[in-house]
Amino acid sequence: MCTLHLIKHKSQSKAYSSSSHKPFFHIQIQESMAIKKLLFASLLICSMIQSSHGATKERLFTDLEKGALEITATPSRTGEGVVLAAGIDKLSITWKVSSTATKEPEFKTIKVKLCYAPISQVDRPWRKTENELFKDKSCPHKISSFSYDPTVKTAQSFDYTLERDIPTGTYYVRAYAVDAKDHEVAFGQSTNADKTTNLFSVQAISGRHKSLDIASVCFSVFSVVALLVFFVNEKRKAKIEQSK
Amino acid sequence: MAPNEDGSIGSSLHGVRAREQVFSLSVEDGPSSQAIRSDDPTAKFAIPVDSEHRAKVFKPLSFAKPHMRAFHLGWISFFTCFISTFAAAPLVPVIRDNLDLNKTDIGNAGVASVSGAIFSRLAMGAVCDLLGARYGTAFSLLLSAPAVFFMSFVSDAGSYLAVRFMIGFCLATFVSCQYWTSVMFNGKIIGLVNGCAGGWGDMGGGVTQLLMPMVYHVIKLTGATPFTAWRFAFFIPGFLQIIMGILVLTLGQDLPDGNLSTLQKSGQVSKDKFSKVFWFAVKNYRTWILFVLYGFSMGVELTINNVISEYFYDRFHLTLHTAGIIAASFGMANFFARPFGGYASDVAARLFGMRGRLWTLWILQTVGALFCIWLGRASSLPIAILAMMLFSIGTQAACGALFGVAPFVSRRSLGLISGLTGAGGNFGSGVTQLLFFSSSRFSTAEGLSLMGVMAVVCTLPVAFIHFPQWGSMFLRPSQHEERSKEEHYYGGEWTKEEKSLGLHEGSIKFAENSRSERGRKAMLADIPTPVTGTPAHV
Repeated sequence: MCTLHLIKHKSQSKAYSSSSHKPFFHIQIQESMAIKKLLFASLLICSMIQSSHGATKERLFTDLEKGALEITATPSRTGEGVVLAAGIDKLSITWKVSSTATKEPEFKTIKVKLCYAPISQVDRPWRKTENELFKDKSCPHKISSFSYDPTVKTAQSFDYTLERDIPTGTYYVRAYAVDAKDHEVAFGQSTNADKTTNLFSVQAISGRHKSLDIASVCFSVFSVVALLVFFVNEKRKAKIEQSK
Repeated sequence: MAPNEDGSIGSSLHGVRAREQVFSLSVEDGPSSQAIRSDDPTAKFAIPVDSEHRAKVFKPLSFAKPHMRAFHLGWISFFTCFISTFAAAPLVPVIRDNLDLNKTDIGNAGVASVSGAIFSRLAMGAVCDLLGARYGTAFSLLLSAPAVFFMSFVSDAGSYLAVRFMIGFCLATFVSCQYWTSVMFNGKIIGLVNGCAGGWGDMGGGVTQLLMPMVYHVIKLTGATPFTAWRFAFFIPGFLQIIMGILVLTLGQDLPDGNLSTLQKSGQVSKDKFSKVFWFAVKNYRTWILFVLYGFSMGVELTINNVISEYFYDRFHLTLHTAGIIAASFGMANFFARPFGGYASDVAARLFGMRGRLWTLWILQTVGALFCIWLGRASSLPIAILAMMLFSIGTQAACGALFGVAPFVSRRSLGLISGLTGAGGNFGSGVTQLLFFSSSRFSTAEGLSLMGVMAVVCTLPVAFIHFPQWGSMFLRPSQHEERSKEEHYYGGEWTKEEKSLGLHEGSIKFAENSRSERGRKAMLADIPTPVTGTPAHV
């Protein structure tokens, strides 16, 4: 994200501290209107720079080589109707390059991600699957990313503890093989093409904390009591004044 | 001081964007105000005041007691409430993962967040009349602060919706803030003062889009997981509300001369009957047109506060922080856009009278809505930002321009009409969120464009606002002998018995002053006061 620079007004003298890295900008209240216009202008410029970075991203998911990586994800607890707990339960992920992979020499990095199953995408357009890779929102959670070692031909595995910011939902695991230009070239996933098999459910943490609950009750009570105290006090003062 | 009936119900928002003259030399008491008239009015005040001790000068950089202090406490309280009400919006990408929300849940919570204020804004007028603006504001801040803290208990879509609904009640501070400034500032400058208070308060909807992601980020840096960090982030708006509530109660003052409960009421306080005031507000068709219009200027603004951050985050793949900055620019434009709208309305009135005001309102609101359509269709980030900024200026200026028309719709029911219009804003926001942003039928981009189309269509009724004495957008003023007089329009709100008791005199004085709404041409002509009206006091 680019830093917003505020251009100094000509009539003001600036005190530059020689020891600091960043100059300190002093904003006068009278300049607030001009500053807002400049803020808007620089925001516009920044966003144009940002958007220009993404101008060439039209690589499609359908162009990737399917099934180049064979990957399985085994939850630490399995069974009918088992829901994994975020922050506690683990996934044991095993992967290897398929013998049918043709783009194997291009592989530089393997990125493993947690993806939403279709049921968790219903009525949630921010998790939509899109063909353009940069638009696709179905795999937002990074599990792991490591460089690919072409000399190791056997299956490798690692454990992953479900992070505490994973939302409640149904998931599968997908691994992308990325080339030197940081472009995805191939992928493999732990489920079938229709995303109906080998799915697992996760229950998110609640995010609630006892200390937070107690603090909010305390402050709420304080708020109401403060109002009542003022109110009663003033009524009493008014009565005393009137009786005088 | 008939136009300044602070004690009467229905005058709770009098002076909102009205340029009511204060008859400083008028001898007649009539329905009096709650303020004491001292012999030496300017002795104890830091800024020049009129005979009712209302400030005649607006000095935004001063904190002088009691006028400027009331202004700052009022608009900052309103600003704080906007922060709390829309605090969830920039954090929705995190909240929706924590609570497993779908699009319908998020949309419904957005509707709930603006719906509570429909009722609380109507009730706040009465609260201010009974307890004073200080307690009105403090009640709103301190009683809704617990709702903000209760975000730490939320665990599913239902509780999330309930908490956002309860937080939304605090938007009633709009009414108490405008009431407080109307009581503290002279009618000649009240337009600018209320425009600034309203606009700067509305900025809170923009600031929260920056503040909450920043607070969330800082809390995450201390080691908290995302699903705990967002809950803790809500403590900041909660603290702000408590602090402001206490400041309002300790530093604020209800009226220029003191607090309501300790003042002795001098003179006769004749309170208008609420049923009458209510009836005249409801019977006047213009009230309902303004209700719809505000629903599609302020209503659209409230809806955007709820959806724009998530929209930029999802559509343009930005970080939470960046999306927040862009969304914040929308709300921040209020700083100058809303006062500008009020000012443009005033200038148009000087040249073309009320017809100018109506045209200004229509133009600003329609242009804003057209840019909203463009925003939904923009597929590149810079175009979207440009469209959003132009849209924000148009819509927010329309809000300011609308309150240039509202004070002239009725004199007797002014307070209630302002309250109803304010409620209309929330109602419009609820409707647009329900129709366009609560289901998977439309993508958010389509929803934005459709909302813009609906706003264009629902701004057309402004053409039907017709004042017999001033005309409308397409019709000239009435040529009829009686109906072309302002006194006839405002006097029509009182029955014969009430007129015989002289209760309508405030309206007649207001009618005389509102002749400026005839525009430049008519002002140059000599217009005699009709015999049936009250002779002008000199």
